[in-house]
Amino acid sequence: MSERILLVEDDRELRATLREALTVEGYAVQATASLADARALLLHAPPDAAPDLVLLDLGLPDGDGEELLAGLRRQKGTPVIVISAREAEGQKIRLLDGGADDYLVKPFGIGELLARMRVALRHRGRHSQPAVLSYQQGALDIDLATRRVRRHGQDVHLTPTEFKLLARLLRQTGQVVTHRQLLADVWGAEHTGQTHYLRLYMGQLRAKLEDDSAEPQYLLTEPGVGYRLADAPGEA
Amino acid sequence: MQNPHAHPEADGARRLNAAAVWPWLTWLCGGALMLVLDRSLDLDLANLAMVLMLTSAIASLWWPGWASATASALAVIAFNWGFVPPRYTFAVDLHQHALLLLAMLAVNWIISGLMIRQRRLTDTARQWAEREARLRTWGDTLRDAADPAAHASALHAALQEAAQVPVAVAVLRGLGAQPEDPSTLQVGPVTDDQRAGLALCIRDGRTMGAGTGRYDELGDWYLPLRGRGVTLGAAVLMGMDRRSVGAALRPHLQALCDQMGSALHRSLIAAQEQQAREQSQLQATRNALLAAISHDYRTPLATIMGAASALHDQADRLDQDQRRRLAGGIVEEAERLSRLTDNTLQLARLDAPSVQLRCDWESAEEIVGAVLRRARRRPDGARIKAWIEPGLPLLWCDALLVSQLLDNLLDDALKYSPEGSVVELQVQRRDDQVCLGVCDRGPGIAPAWQERVFEVFQRGDDACRSASVEASRQGAGVGLAVCRAIARAHGGELRLRPRTHGGCRFDCLLPMRELQGALPEDGPP
Repeated sequence: MSERILLVEDDRELRATLREALTVEGYAVQATASLADARALLLHAPPDAAPDLVLLDLGLPDGDGEELLAGLRRQKGTPVIVISAREAEGQKIRLLDGGADDYLVKPFGIGELLARMRVALRHRGRHSQPAVLSYQQGALDIDLATRRVRRHGQDVHLTPTEFKLLARLLRQTGQVVTHRQLLADVWGAEHTGQTHYLRLYMGQLRAKLEDDSAEPQYLLTEPGVGYRLADAPGEA
Repeated sequence: MQNPHAHPEADGARRLNAAAVWPWLTWLCGGALMLVLDRSLDLDLANLAMVLMLTSAIASLWWPGWASATASALAVIAFNWGFVPPRYTFAVDLHQHALLLLAMLAVNWIISGLMIRQRRLTDTARQWAEREARLRTWGDTLRDAADPAAHASALHAALQEAAQVPVAVAVLRGLGAQPEDPSTLQVGPVTDDQRAGLALCIRDGRTMGAGTGRYDELGDWYLPLRGRGVTLGAAVLMGMDRRSVGAALRPHLQALCDQMGSALHRSLIAAQEQQAREQSQLQATRNALLAAISHDYRTPLATIMGAASALHDQADRLDQDQRRRLAGGIVEEAERLSRLTDNTLQLARLDAPSVQLRCDWESAEEIVGAVLRRARRRPDGARIKAWIEPGLPLLWCDALLVSQLLDNLLDDALKYSPEGSVVELQVQRRDDQVCLGVCDRGPGIAPAWQERVFEVFQRGDDACRSASVEASRQGAGVGLAVCRAIARAHGGELRLRPRTHGGCRFDCLLPMRELQGALPEDGPP
């Protein structure tokens, strides 16, 4: 059964283009142009036809997509990818902290969108599923259960904080985790302003796990937003 | 200046003392001299009378008219008593002596009168000279003033000195301003009535108050500060009805006020002109910017339009490869448009006077990593070689802006350097700064262009910087201007240097800041 996508986008051209591109990829796309339509669709969809993922534009004619986001996350845990022309970093972080799975700034390539969608769908309903405990990509082999980290088959020794940081990123492999989330989960809620902890520990982690820490393949930086553990080494 | 009242009063007191002492002293000396002359030389009466007249004339230099007249009369009576025979009586024996006494009295009075008149003339002349001098200095002060409104307190002092009464001055700060505006400058304390009087005077532009013919019942004078056809303020001189100087002083005070008024007017007009000039310059810059933007947008749009319409209209006649090439061109040009938009917006944002950077402690390694990840996706991205000095401190900067800066520099370097040549990205410490450098082996930039490339929408001439004609058309336009604006917004600088073996090097220097606060404890690995 193909995965159902709800596309909320008010620009007709972009809506048509995305619908076509996503249909070609085998998704079942439902497209709406307004917040009210999206709400009605979500409300009246039978449980077995509920969307698996929502692509949400922010500036809609009858309100801001942000309003829909909160309700969606609370009720159903449906993954949401925000697509917006607004490039305000503050908003990006707020939406990610507020439950959006990802944030794409227009214009974006379809390849990028598909990659982000695959990651979001994989993490769908992660709260009800057993947590991801391992990561095998390229030369890296991480097993959280046994606390074992290997690179090129060699054991890598991490400090407790380094390990906690890596584990937090691994739980959301492929997705951006904001500075705030990382600081709160690794150091505690009172340390959310201390971004320099992150800089230094990420530097140490890269030095231990990456071949060239100036050009990381696994521990990727999203400038001004957060970090991401790469889905596949060297991926964009 | 602290207390303008102090000096005139002190001067007055000193003058009073001199005027009081000297005539008494003169009379004393004159009397003594007459006694001495009478006793030792036994001169006749006429000679002694001459001494008396001389003494009286000298004394009238200081005394007012009535005092001189009385003193002369008393002196003549005393002379009669002491010298005219029969001595020590008021009787006069001879007619000629009576005549002498009367003549003495008359001459004394005439001399006193003349003396006093002369004195008054001198006083008036001195006052005129003082007023002239005050007007002249005041004019000089105002001429040199960039903002004459700042001289409101100087006018306040000058009026106070000239009129010897408490003064308050109100000055408007603009040509269309109203007296009630909060921006109106006020020097000296006033009552509410006086404030209203000042406002009325500014609005009417005419003198009012005691003895002026308008609102005569007022105790104060209100003088407008008049420019050409406008009134830009007013002064109130308090309690002028109790002053005797009155009408004679008013033209002088008004002249002081009007000088201030025209200076204010001149400066406001000059400011308006300046503003208009700046406005038109801004407009010109904006027009140039818009022209350049539309030019820079049109080029990629043309490619997109061409490729897209070819795909649309000739789809069935194109083979797979051609279609893919056309579509690839569309993607590439759209990316270029997107970058151009980012740069233009960023430049406008950084140009705003109150630009807020989202600074945080950032690692140069991470910024370079993110920039490289994007650059490697370009077809020629593999040409970039990055090197970061180990152990660099964290940078206090806006990571997105700094990555945008590096994106632009790398973009330019790749574009303008020959295929296959290495583009280097180096980050290193340089004294108390961190230097982010991008070097290429392109044709370099002609010396004449080394500053101008940083100007908005300037681009090195085809001949100056470009390996091929194709490359010259792909300039970033705003690219380098944004880079410099980003560096400067961080308190840093962007410099361009030619390299010894060809090509050029852009150095972005960012200041280093001390990081406060230690890391929390961490266990062993």
